[in-house]
Parts: sequence; structure tokens; C-alpha cells
Amino acid sequence: MKTIRVGLAGNPNTGKTTIFNALTGSNQRVGNYAGVTVEKKEGRVVRGDTEIVVWDLPGIYSLTSYSIDEMITRDFILDERPDVIINVLDATNLERNLYLCLQFVELGLPVIGALNVIDQAESMGIRIDEKRLGELLGFPIVRTVGPRGKGLDHLLDRVEAVHDLWRSAAAAPASGRSAPRRSPGLDEPGRPTGAPIHLPVYSHQVESAIRAIGDLLESDSGFAAVNPCHWLAAKLLEKDANARQRLAAHPARQVAEAEIDRHIRAIERESGRDAEIVLSEQRYAWIHGAVREAVSKVEAPQPLTEKIDAVLLNRFLGLPIFLGILWLIFQATFTIGAIPQGWLEQLFSWMGDGVRQLVPPGLLQSLLADGIIAGVGGVLSFLPLVVILFMFISILEDTGYMARAAFIMDKFLHLFGLHGQSFLPMMVGFGCSVPAVMAARSLKSPRDRIVTILVIPFMSCGAKLPVYVLLAGTFFSAWAGTMVLAMYVIGIFLAMVSALIFRKTVLRGLSTPFVMELPPYRTPTARGILRQVGDKSAQYFKKAGTVILAAAILIWAITTFPAPPENAPGDPITYSVAGQIGKAIEPAFKPLGFDWKIAIATVTGFAAKEVVVSTLGVLYSVDDKNAITEGDDAEAPLRVALRADPAYNPLVGFTLMLFTLVLAPCFAAQATIRAELGWKWLGFYVAYSILAAWGLCFAVYQIGRLLGLGA
Amino acid sequence: VTIIDLKQGDEFRIRGVTLSHEIGKRLADMGFTAGARGTVVRSALLGDPLQIRILGYNISIRKAEAAGVEVELLTGEIA
Repeated sequence: MKTIRVGLAGNPNTGKTTIFNALTGSNQRVGNYAGVTVEKKEGRVVRGDTEIVVWDLPGIYSLTSYSIDEMITRDFILDERPDVIINVLDATNLERNLYLCLQFVELGLPVIGALNVIDQAESMGIRIDEKRLGELLGFPIVRTVGPRGKGLDHLLDRVEAVHDLWRSAAAAPASGRSAPRRSPGLDEPGRPTGAPIHLPVYSHQVESAIRAIGDLLESDSGFAAVNPCHWLAAKLLEKDANARQRLAAHPARQVAEAEIDRHIRAIERESGRDAEIVLSEQRYAWIHGAVREAVSKVEAPQPLTEKIDAVLLNRFLGLPIFLGILWLIFQATFTIGAIPQGWLEQLFSWMGDGVRQLVPPGLLQSLLADGIIAGVGGVLSFLPLVVILFMFISILEDTGYMARAAFIMDKFLHLFGLHGQSFLPMMVGFGCSVPAVMAARSLKSPRDRIVTILVIPFMSCGAKLPVYVLLAGTFFSAWAGTMVLAMYVIGIFLAMVSALIFRKTVLRGLSTPFVMELPPYRTPTARGILRQVGDKSAQYFKKAGTVILAAAILIWAITTFPAPPENAPGDPITYSVAGQIGKAIEPAFKPLGFDWKIAIATVTGFAAKEVVVSTLGVLYSVDDKNAITEGDDAEAPLRVALRADPAYNPLVGFTLMLFTLVLAPCFAAQATIRAELGWKWLGFYVAYSILAAWGLCFAVYQIGRLLGLGA
Repeated sequence: VTIIDLKQGDEFRIRGVTLSHEIGKRLADMGFTAGARGTVVRSALLGDPLQIRILGYNISIRKAEAAGVEVELLTGEIA
């Protein structure tokens, strides 16, 4: 059986992922928000005795090295050398789509254009003669209508045919695939469309510069074996940083660099422009010529998208509509989600009771019921909220609205060194930091992504809410709701200020340009939405099964061991590791008005905010700790106990709420930050959150006392 | 004249991108090349960023970048 390795590439929002799913039937998400497929996805099709392996590459616009997605794609192509590239082309937007396609041809790879969204283009009056276009561009172009799977068989026929053409060309003498410049030109008689080709894209000056530099690089056979030298030459003329790095491995690097700089200067002198722009312009000019001959109408208005934008992006209506949509999503998430959340809580409570009846009292019962079921259950009961929230977010992404939201919010966020696209992950942060940190992948610049991830935990997540509710209800009964809201507002404020601080210190540098496509509005498909929701829920579920499980066991262990000596007075937890840590760090917490009990709660709260309430419950209501955590009425004893403790007063209550807000949310969120940014940034974040929490609470408590609030 | 001198609804033809390095290259990659025609569709609430229509699609860029795209006005008047 022979195998053909295919890279599926294309601009974002071209329906590439839909084609991938139709081809391979694999699990994959479809999105409108730029670049949702950061992971490398692989699928297989078997046709007769041929196996076709397809990789779904990230949606990109060009092969520079300015974004993670572009680097992933170029590294994949340079390292893996796929046999064929299928480039999905949006028929409503051919020129910009062909710009990427052309770069794959320049790389010396067999390319097939898959013309997508063709029905929409035709309804707009765009007529494309794809056969003629293919002849003019030198590679075959096939019609595909993604969702209905039309034309896909034909596409795979062409993949096999083109693969065979290139194989026989490589076998023939004097035209290897690694040397595109020796490939025949477009006007070569009898050349079948799809065979190796050298396209006359550039001006004579640029062309000869590419040849001179490429030949120079190729003179080292070791370097030429792993680098497509003439493509690299063009990239070097474009001053590409990644290409310069690759050049470092060349023995004649200094000679080459001098030669490159000389050519760049000559091109810039001749054109009066920067060389990197000259090459882009010549590519676009060449595409423009071909498209003008084979396409009846290149640009057409999109009346529906324009009408919707006239309302949703209206200068004065845009922001209120956006805030209204947000409000509706949160209302729906928390009111609808509360119902299945209640069922799950009930289920885990039954499971806990069941374990207590089946397993004899002792360590095992305590580990299962109080540790694992209570800990994992507490997190899993948020799953319905995550599912509903992500369903709405998927709809916003797939319709194309998310890019509009970034457009509306960009100015405001930019003031604080954030980016329009930071908004979505920050919004998700109100639900849970774990999916929010993952959602920050849609930010293309590493610096923007890091800032966004570092401030996400300031968005009060669902697990902080019970802590706010308990403390606000206990100490500010008349205006408890206002105090809870105040916590959310303070969180947003801290996020903005922190973003500004990071931008001025550790993440200094020019702000990333905000160049973002506003894709046409499209109707989301139920399958696409379900796939995304399924993927995200599975990731959340996996986290609960691994990190949270480990955290739950750890918290249980440090609050249980070592066991107190016989007949020891006081609560057993005071003898445990957590209790000892609490006592040990009490001096550090004294200036914040916290005694050792609160110190213990903050220690366990570092692992998961849900357990702050249950830890306080354990510490204050020794007899029946279940009565504290179940239901609103049952919470009353804890409130009474807290009010009765002289260590507490409204100022301490407020300070503890603030501490809960600022301190790192939970182990799961910390593990996600580590997975996305690495240990170094996780360490920085944890240190920052501890210092900020302590510093702010110190200031609030001390100033409050001076003002006589702590009495 | 650059894009920021234009007002909503103005059509333009690009004369050249004066920004270099990353941002100039990115704009060129997205189709902001000499001779390309575009329209200023609208701006966001505080006048920034701008929505531009070019090569038949919509793109959002900030004023800071728009100021580096030199154009000639095809319709309308300069604000």
C-alpha cells in the first residue's frame, strides 16, 4: 500500500476544518475566530491501495514568522515535507487566499487549490473559470463545497494524480523537486497542470537576486539537504528573522549575509521601498493578473454581512448591543446551568453518603467521601456551566461575531496594553480560569497571550463566588449583593492595572498591531458547535479527573495527617500539616488581620477556592461539618460562628474576600498556566499573585483600622 | 494623504505602505499593496480601530497603522 502525506492549509475562515472533517471524519473543531486549530490534527482516508494521511494545519495568511500559527505551519512543512499541499481557497476572496497558496508553490511543493464557498461566490455574481485559473497559476484548482462533501472525491483524485506527476518528474534526470528553479516554466509546451513548475512571479532584479543567493546557499550540500535554498533566499530578501536563524547553520554564512544585504540595498534603491514589501507587492501583482483573466468579477459586495454590520458595529449601538449579548449569555449560563448543577451536587452528595454507609469509618472512608468525592464533585458540578458557556462562545465564534467584539473592545483594552482579542478569554474567566487560559490561544502574539493569561485569574471565577457569598452575607447582610458585585469590579480593575504593570516591566515592548479580518457572517452548524462544546468539556473533564483529583487528595492529606494525639483538645485539623502551616505562617498574616484559622483556609484555598468555605466549616463547626456546606439554610451556623468569633469583623471579612480574589485561583488553573506558558511564567504568576494579595490586603486592613473600621 | 485623513465611506487607492518590518509586512501580506483599492467602512466608538474593505474582504486596523498607509482619494472629499 502506498501512502501520500497531505498538508491541508489555507486562510482562517475558509471552511478548511469542515473539509478536513468531511475528508477524514475525525473529531475537529470549526471556527471563525482567527486560528482555532493550533494543535496538529491528523486524519486518514483509504482509497483502493492508497492511504492518504491528512494534517489540518493552522489557518494562516502568509508564511512569515510573526505568529505561532505561521511558525507551526512553516516548521511542519520544512521538517515533514508533506507530499502534497491542499490549499483551501475562499472563492469570495480569491486574491488574498492565493497569496498564501503561491508561497507553497515557491517552496517547491505540489499544490492543489480547493475552491470552497463557491455557491456563495456565485450568488454574489463572481464567476470563476477554475480550469483557466489553474492553467494560469500552474497548479490544479478543484471545486469543493465543504459541508455537503461535494467534489471531495475529485479533489482526492487530483491529489493522487499530482503526486504521481511529481514522482515521475523527480525520477527523470535534471529536474529534482528540491530544485524548483530548474523546473519548467509556465509556457513549457505539453506541461500538464500540476507538474513541477517555476512561476515567473518576480521582477528581473528580484528574480536574479533570489537565484544568486539561492545558488550560493546550495553550494553547501549539507545545508541544501535540509533547506529549500531558493525559497530561503526569497525569505532572506524579505528580512525574515526565522530564515536568518536557519542561515546561521551555513558555513559561508558571513559571505551570504553580505551578499543578501547587498541585494536588499539594490532592490530598495531601485524601488524606493522596503524589500520585504516589494516582494509582497510583486506576488499580489502576479496573482492579480491571473485572477483578472479567469474570474469575471473579483470583488463583490456582501449585502447581508454589510447590513448586519451596519447595526452590530454601529458607532453608538455597537457597544450596548455587545454588552447586552454578554449579559444575556451570563444570565442564561447561570440560570439554566444552575439546574443541572444542582442535580450533580445532589448526585455527589448521595455518592458521599453511600460511601459513608458502605465503607467503615476511618481513613479510607474519609479519603473517599471527604477527599475525592467532595473535591472532584465540587469541580465537576461546574461542568454544566462550562458546557453552556462554551456553547454560546462557539456560536459567537462560528457566526463571525467574536471578531466584531474584539473590534468594539480593542480601543479600551489597548489603553491597558491588552488586545481586542484578549476580551474573549477574559470573559470566559468569569466562568472558570481553566478554559479561559486555554482560550487565550487565539491571541497570535506571544506577548499579548502571556499578558492575557496572567490577568485572567483576576476575573472572579465561579468557585470564588461561594466565598464572597458566605463572607458578604455574614458581615454585610444589608448590602451583601453590592459587596459581591464590588469584588467582581475590583477584579476587573486589578486585571487592567496588572496588565499595564506587566507591559511596563516584564513584557515591555511595542504593542502588537491589531490587524484582524472581520469574516463574513455565516450560519453556524449544529455539528460544528457540538464538536467544539464536546472538545472543551472533555478537556475540563480530563482536568477534573487528573489535576483536581490529585489536588483533592493532597488537600485531604494535609488536613488529615498527622492525626492528633489521644485525647488532644481542639479540632484535629489544628494538628495536621495544614494546621501547622497555618500556625507557622500566622505571623505573616497578622498584619492583614487574619488569625491562624483564616491562614489555614488561605493555604487550602491556594489549591482550590471551593474549599475555603469547607475549611472554615471544619474549623468552626466541629460537630457536623456537612451541615455547613449543604444548602443556604445550613450555612447559617457557620455565619453565626464567624460573627461570634472576636477575630472577625466586617473589615477582616472584606480583607479575606479581597485575598480570595487576588490569590491564584486553584491548582487546576495553575497547571493550565504551566501547560500553556511553562514553569517560569507559572512561578512568576504565583509569586505576583501572592505578593499582590498580601500587599493589597495589608494596605486595606491597615488603612481600614486607621479609619476605625475594624472595631 | 494617509488612511486616517479619510472619512467613513471614502474610497482610496494605495500608493504605498511606509511602515516597515513586522507591521508593514503584515499589511502587505493582507493586501495593502500599491495600486490596491479599498474603502473606509467605519470606525469603532472612539474613532479607533478602523474597518477597511480591501480585496473584497473586511479588515480591522488601528489608526496608528492606518497612518502608515499612503493613499490617493478616489471619491468623496478629504475631511
